[in-house]
Amino acid sequence: MLERRLYRHIDWLLLLAVLVLCVIGVVMIYSTTYDPTTGLAGSQVSTQLWALGLGLIGFIVMLSVDYRWFSDSTVLICLALLAALGYALMFGTTGGGARRWIGLGLFNLQPSEFARIVVALALATLFADRRRGPQTPTGWLMTALIVGTPFLLIAQQPDLGTAVTLLPVCFGILVFAGLRLRYVAVLLLLAVLTAPVAWTYGLQDYQKQRISSFLDPEQDAHGAGYQQIQARITVGSGGPLGKGFLGGTQSQYNFLPVAHNDFIFSVLAEEQGFLGVVVALGLYLFVILRGLDAARLAKDRLGTFLVVGLMSGFGFQVIYNIAMSAGLAPVKGLTLPLMSYGGSSVIATLAAFGLVLNVRMRRFTN
Amino acid sequence: MRRELETNGEERRDSMMLPLVLLRSSVVLAFAALGVGFWLLQVVQHDKYHQLAENNHRRTIGLRAPRGNVFDRDGRVLVENRNSLNISLVREQVDDLESTLALLSEVSGVPSAALWSVVERNRRDPAYQPILLIRDATIGQVSAVAAHALELPGLFVQELPARHYKTAEVAAHLFGYVGEVSQSQMATAEFEGVRSGTVVGKSGIESTYNQLLMGQDGARQVVVDAIGREIDTVGEIAPAEGRQLQLTLDYDLQEAAEAAFRLAGFDGAAVVLDPRSGEILSLVSLPAYDPNAFAMGIDSDTWSGLNDDTRRPLNNRALQGRYSPGSTFKIAMAVAALEEGVVDADDRVTCNGGATFYGRFYKCWGTHGSVDMREALEQSCNTYFYTLGQKMEVDQIHQWATALGLGVLSGIDLPHEVQGLVPSTAWKREARGEPWYPGETISVAIGQGTVDVTPLSLAVMMATVANGGTRVTPHLLKAVNDGDGWVPAQPPGPRSQVHLSPETISAVTEGLWRVVNGRGTGGRGRIEGRDVIGKTGTAQVISLKGRAAAGETDPEFFDHGWFVFAAPAGAPEIAGVVFGEHNEHGSLSAPIAKHVMETYFAKKEGRPLPVLPLPATPTPEAVPPVAVTAVAGN
Repeated sequence: MLERRLYRHIDWLLLLAVLVLCVIGVVMIYSTTYDPTTGLAGSQVSTQLWALGLGLIGFIVMLSVDYRWFSDSTVLICLALLAALGYALMFGTTGGGARRWIGLGLFNLQPSEFARIVVALALATLFADRRRGPQTPTGWLMTALIVGTPFLLIAQQPDLGTAVTLLPVCFGILVFAGLRLRYVAVLLLLAVLTAPVAWTYGLQDYQKQRISSFLDPEQDAHGAGYQQIQARITVGSGGPLGKGFLGGTQSQYNFLPVAHNDFIFSVLAEEQGFLGVVVALGLYLFVILRGLDAARLAKDRLGTFLVVGLMSGFGFQVIYNIAMSAGLAPVKGLTLPLMSYGGSSVIATLAAFGLVLNVRMRRFTN
Repeated sequence: MRRELETNGEERRDSMMLPLVLLRSSVVLAFAALGVGFWLLQVVQHDKYHQLAENNHRRTIGLRAPRGNVFDRDGRVLVENRNSLNISLVREQVDDLESTLALLSEVSGVPSAALWSVVERNRRDPAYQPILLIRDATIGQVSAVAAHALELPGLFVQELPARHYKTAEVAAHLFGYVGEVSQSQMATAEFEGVRSGTVVGKSGIESTYNQLLMGQDGARQVVVDAIGREIDTVGEIAPAEGRQLQLTLDYDLQEAAEAAFRLAGFDGAAVVLDPRSGEILSLVSLPAYDPNAFAMGIDSDTWSGLNDDTRRPLNNRALQGRYSPGSTFKIAMAVAALEEGVVDADDRVTCNGGATFYGRFYKCWGTHGSVDMREALEQSCNTYFYTLGQKMEVDQIHQWATALGLGVLSGIDLPHEVQGLVPSTAWKREARGEPWYPGETISVAIGQGTVDVTPLSLAVMMATVANGGTRVTPHLLKAVNDGDGWVPAQPPGPRSQVHLSPETISAVTEGLWRVVNGRGTGGRGRIEGRDVIGKTGTAQVISLKGRAAAGETDPEFFDHGWFVFAAPAGAPEIAGVVFGEHNEHGSLSAPIAKHVMETYFAKKEGRPLPVLPLPATPTPEAVPPVAVTAVAGN
């Protein structure tokens, strides 16, 4: 399937940056799960390495098959996603108060991590052929259906954080598909107006707690505000040059909960300092901008929309997670793509980059 | 076809240029904002967060330094330290303080209100600092807490050195007691830098020599994890034990004095010292208290019990009680009169049971006929001393009494010494705004009227007269050991020195010798071959009239009896005072002095110490350091 000509057009630079970030992630997971008393790192490291292996396979699959083939199978793929989400919701494995995993024996699969790719693919397919853009009743309806259904299923788990990452995917594609700026304004206004309603009826108590404690972490220094305070301390104490590998007191002594997961970037900031932060931020920025390049270079609207959707979702999650890891945004159960511990996240993200490279690679093919 | 596609592509790209630029610039802006955010946290505010991170995982745990041991002059340990078991709380590790304290109260038997009040008192301390909830826990309480360890996270048994007074109540006032430093103490220069909760001396030598005894509390710096478990010790400053003190106290004499009081059956005070140096050999104040009760913080019941006791056991009568000196003051009168030259030792006065001065008749307690000074001292003839009082100015009396140590502070190395009073014209003008009436001098001459003294000051007077005029400073500290061996303490020099003529000394000494060895009132203090000199005295508690009105039955109104003494006459080695509270007459105090002196001489000559016919006394070791009583709660 992979012709020699295509092989030449693989964006090796982007792939390299993505892999470097994955390696940094593994090193940081090693550090946070390292137990100084036994001198061993946690099992998470090997799990993550396995996940990376699977992710690379996923990457190659997504890269090899022409993205237009995926587009043709959109309906099927959407149904598969909804089935998986529904299954997870009803029979899934419970963890941390949410039902989001499907037990697969060896590991648990989190279908919501793949929802972003499917939504991006579905919306890109939808608007690729609709020259009139989204401002038609059918356009709105389809968009609402494609985004809303998985959104509600994921929010029911409950995992509002992951559900919300679907919105930038949708928003990015809509704007590129010709959403007029006044609609953007209306959407923003709507969001502001519905915020109090959502606050009252839509949010669980713990979610309200997280937001209010973000605004004033000290009010609940041992509860929801704790993570945020500790995140700031972790980052701030890292200083310009960091405390060194395995030298982070905040992460090594567990002052920062789930450090290997949602707060991996805090650990990087603590141990590698501002210097390490700048390097990692630079890599992420490069990955996002370079990824968006594929949108510009794409041969067709489908490719452009697909890349925009995927990169919007990726960019949003990266920026939000990094802001959160420094205590600059409310704590939300969002992983840092590529670096955080989490098999499904790694596989889904690498698969998404497979698609991005796919679009870029096939820019000259018919 | 290909061409058209290209054009299409170009067109599409143009239409998407704006969103792409917008998207890219917002991403770049967001990353720039993140960069600035991290720069602010990691570079600008680094110091603050560095400190917070250090506070997070470093704990400084105080290690209490044991106080120095205290020895008597023969090297016997009198005050030492023992290990106390305490139940402490680390709030940081407790999720639900309410239920933890409720359960602790249930298993320990300590009322929950008491536990809460301790927690409230320490509310402002850092949450990782252990709070001593139950001090000196019983074995039962400790095992109850250990058995419920899983339900009581944050509670642990803390071993701390606690003060242990081996002799319990013996010499209690001399040793004093310890307690946590108070807010008012911390405000003083002496306690600068002392952390709250530090155990310091509150009275007695524990207080005077607190700086020496206290030592230096240590600290252990540990690394803890998020749930407060100690992971590693970073550094440790071992606590430095306080310095050891050797006192001039002779425990044998102390024991002898207290035993003699027990035999006599009354309370009181005694001070025994070496008249040559001022070294205190024994210092008694009865009733006493058990300073061990204070060692780990006294409970409020015991404290209010001690405070409310009408016998005032916390009061150190030896240096805080002010009593009329009665006839013991005649010694000062005799010295003053002879030195001022108003009489000659051989001058005689006739006692007909009293005499009239300034139009008023002053009674003597007997009819002594013609007496000279020696006989007047021997028989304690009031008429003779009234006559001296008439011949002298009160200021002369004041001057000589002061030179001998009365009405002034002795300078002893114990806190809260009280000053007695020997009146003068200046004093009366200031205190009362009235001139001195000569008639008052007549009362002063026999130690009545406004004169009052502490037992300690009478002991100093006796020492000064016995040693020929050197007013020594009574003191307790003999040597200090800071770990490198004993270094003798610099003894305090004499407070003052007066020259007493040999004639004065010989006349007064002879009079006082006769008190004990002749027909005088001190016969019960006589020791064959020891030439004890002494003088009894009676401190009236209320006037004779008042006493008659009270029906003379209430022991509260009985007079106090004095006996001042020194031995051997001419070259005294031991001097002192015995004060018998409400024992009615000084002659009843004399046997106590006698027993102390006999013990002193027996010890000096290596003979077996005299034993009093006493019922078995509770030995101090019989009081267990940790009361293993009822296992509460279960």
